[in-house]
Amino acid sequence: MTDRGSLNLKLILSVLVAFALSMAFSWFLHDRLSERDAHGLIDRAFENVESEIIDCVNERLVRHCMEVRERLDEGYPDDTASLQALAREMNITEVSVADSKGNIVRSSVPEYLAGPGKPAFSFVTAGGMAEDMMCLVNGQETEYCQPFRCNTANGAWRKFVGVWKPSGGFVEIGCDGESLRALSRATIVDLFRNWRVGGKGGIVVTTPSGLVLSDYAEPNREGSQWIEPDGSFYWKRKDVESFPTYVMIPRGAAAVQRDVLVGATATLNGLALVFVALLVGVVISSFVRQQMRAQAAKDLELAKDIQLSALPNVFPPFPDEPAFSIWASMETAKEVGGDFYDFYFTGVDRVLFLVADVSGKGVPAAMFMMRAKTLIKSAAQTGKPLARVFEEANDALCEGNSSNTFVTAWAGEVNLKTGHVVYVNAGHNAPVVRRGGKCEYLKGRPSLVLGVMPGMKYGVGELHLERGDEIYLYTDGITEQPDPSGELYGDARLLKLLSGCPEKDGALLKAVLDDVRRHAGDAEQADDCTQLVMRYRGAPDVFTREYAPTIEGIASASADLAAALEHVPEADKARLMVAADEIFANIMRYSEAKRWSLTVERTHCPEGVWLVIADDGKPFDPLALRDPDTTLCAKDREVGGLGILIVKKTMSPVTYKRRNGQNILTMGKDYGNKDNN
Amino acid sequence: MEIKTTTEGDKLTIVVSGRVDTVTAPELEAGLKFGDAKHVVIDLADVPYMSSAGLRLLLTAHKTMMGVGGELQISNVQPPVKEVFDITGFSDIFNLT
Repeated sequence: MTDRGSLNLKLILSVLVAFALSMAFSWFLHDRLSERDAHGLIDRAFENVESEIIDCVNERLVRHCMEVRERLDEGYPDDTASLQALAREMNITEVSVADSKGNIVRSSVPEYLAGPGKPAFSFVTAGGMAEDMMCLVNGQETEYCQPFRCNTANGAWRKFVGVWKPSGGFVEIGCDGESLRALSRATIVDLFRNWRVGGKGGIVVTTPSGLVLSDYAEPNREGSQWIEPDGSFYWKRKDVESFPTYVMIPRGAAAVQRDVLVGATATLNGLALVFVALLVGVVISSFVRQQMRAQAAKDLELAKDIQLSALPNVFPPFPDEPAFSIWASMETAKEVGGDFYDFYFTGVDRVLFLVADVSGKGVPAAMFMMRAKTLIKSAAQTGKPLARVFEEANDALCEGNSSNTFVTAWAGEVNLKTGHVVYVNAGHNAPVVRRGGKCEYLKGRPSLVLGVMPGMKYGVGELHLERGDEIYLYTDGITEQPDPSGELYGDARLLKLLSGCPEKDGALLKAVLDDVRRHAGDAEQADDCTQLVMRYRGAPDVFTREYAPTIEGIASASADLAAALEHVPEADKARLMVAADEIFANIMRYSEAKRWSLTVERTHCPEGVWLVIADDGKPFDPLALRDPDTTLCAKDREVGGLGILIVKKTMSPVTYKRRNGQNILTMGKDYGNKDNN
Repeated sequence: MEIKTTTEGDKLTIVVSGRVDTVTAPELEAGLKFGDAKHVVIDLADVPYMSSAGLRLLLTAHKTMMGVGGELQISNVQPPVKEVFDITGFSDIFNLT
């Protein structure tokens, strides 16, 4: 839970950081955009402001120039001194009169007039903007204004304005900044009072000394001194016709759009991020859950592998062994328990078989089961008595068993010659003994389970088996399997099934398991179902004799075999005799053997005969021969190979092996009552 | 092993008693003499079993009779011998009665 909590916290933090970064970027972007927009707005406003101021100034100066022309027309003297006086009177800087060719003929400025060796100032040849005045001469315009600019001729700042003379030529006046402002100032005052730029911005026009002529807002009121705006405005200054002019927009007003956009983006991004965070959270937690489930499944597989890999799983385990048969099966439950079974020879004629159940489930139970199985087996194979085997295993399992895991086990050791069974029961379910179709539980007081109390002594029970008797071992997964209503399979039902079941060996185990499954119906398998059945068949009657590879040897062997098969049914006896004769004949004719032997084993439960024929001749596997074609017509038929064909068809199984310089052919025949009981 | 031979005109009847195997086959081989007989009956009523050693002799006899245009009949075959005939395909070759 703590891990998931901190994971969520980290997730939220990283989402918030991503959100903040994206907002900061968005704000920065929109701030730049709104600043650029504001400056664009200011530049556009200036175009209008400039033309408005120029229009006002021009209109005023043209009127003034006309007044000067009027004065001259009225006969004001036009010598230089008089014109200088007129200029002073009219509050202008200079005044000139040009003829129709564009030459200055009268002027308050002596330098413009013709003198010795110097022509008069000519608007045609002077270059620059002077030539534009010629529009007044050629009749295109009646008045013309130049912008306030630095004069190319003498570097002084002037605004020249001309008006035509109907009699030819024109009158031109020139104003410096001071005179220009004095003349036109009144027209500027309050010109822009109600102009607004971009809603809340405005225009301020001042004099060069900073006196406000046209105001906009506090503190720049008309008549007050200009105060440069602080950082809360975007603004720009331009001198228009010598008037310092300002266009300004409050930053707040310009940023409205930015704030709206950033706000909207923040809201949308916030929603998107919350949604993404939720989605990512759901995806991650489902991924983690899936990983955990996969890990748990892997653990379960591991536990199953440990459990199953440790158990002998080839059946029948001792196919050549006539004295007993043993079959076991384990069905693991979904959640692995710690069941196991085991069997092995503990001596030439002794076989130990056991079934056990480890408490607990999963990997720990499987590991404990491995230990228990190994400890019992290694102790048993030293040939110690069964009780001692359990005592040693118990002591070893108790060591360091901090988890208090324990094992119940039932183990029996059968003497294959006598059918005598010694057994130990460490807290396990009582097994079932089947004799002649009758079943009973092998009751008795069990000893303590293994792995709980060190130094524990284990007592043994004893039992005698006749040929055909069976011992059936199982774990409580069988008897305690519930049906959908919760009722357990139970000891009684198991006993009834075993009593009525004609099957043996693997088929018997399958019959029990099928019945348990029928009982379970839709209910899940509760625990591992482990079973083992050991059927005692008894030691076979055996004789072995050696013979010479001659016709006499064969005759002698045939007589011995016929005597050994005295009680065998005629048909099977005939088959065995024929099969043996075929092998005898092969040895005599082809093997170059010096000696050969015949072993006859009469086995029990079911009745059967095993013939082992060994010779020291050259290696020869008759079973590897190809079968002859038995469909040919008489004249094409050969007799070769027919003998082996007969052996293969009438005996089961037939095996060949080469061992210790001998060809060893084993063939058997089960006959008589399959259900020997 | 006992082999009894009786002749009726050109019909020769050979009655075999006892097992036929590697040991007894030479005796049977010696007993299977047909002379000029065109019709031979081998009676196996008293043969409990027969190995391939016996089959070889019967096949030889069958080929001999076919060679002289005669007829070989095998009668009273017991189940163990019939089984061997079936396995080896000889049931389809011999004229069994």
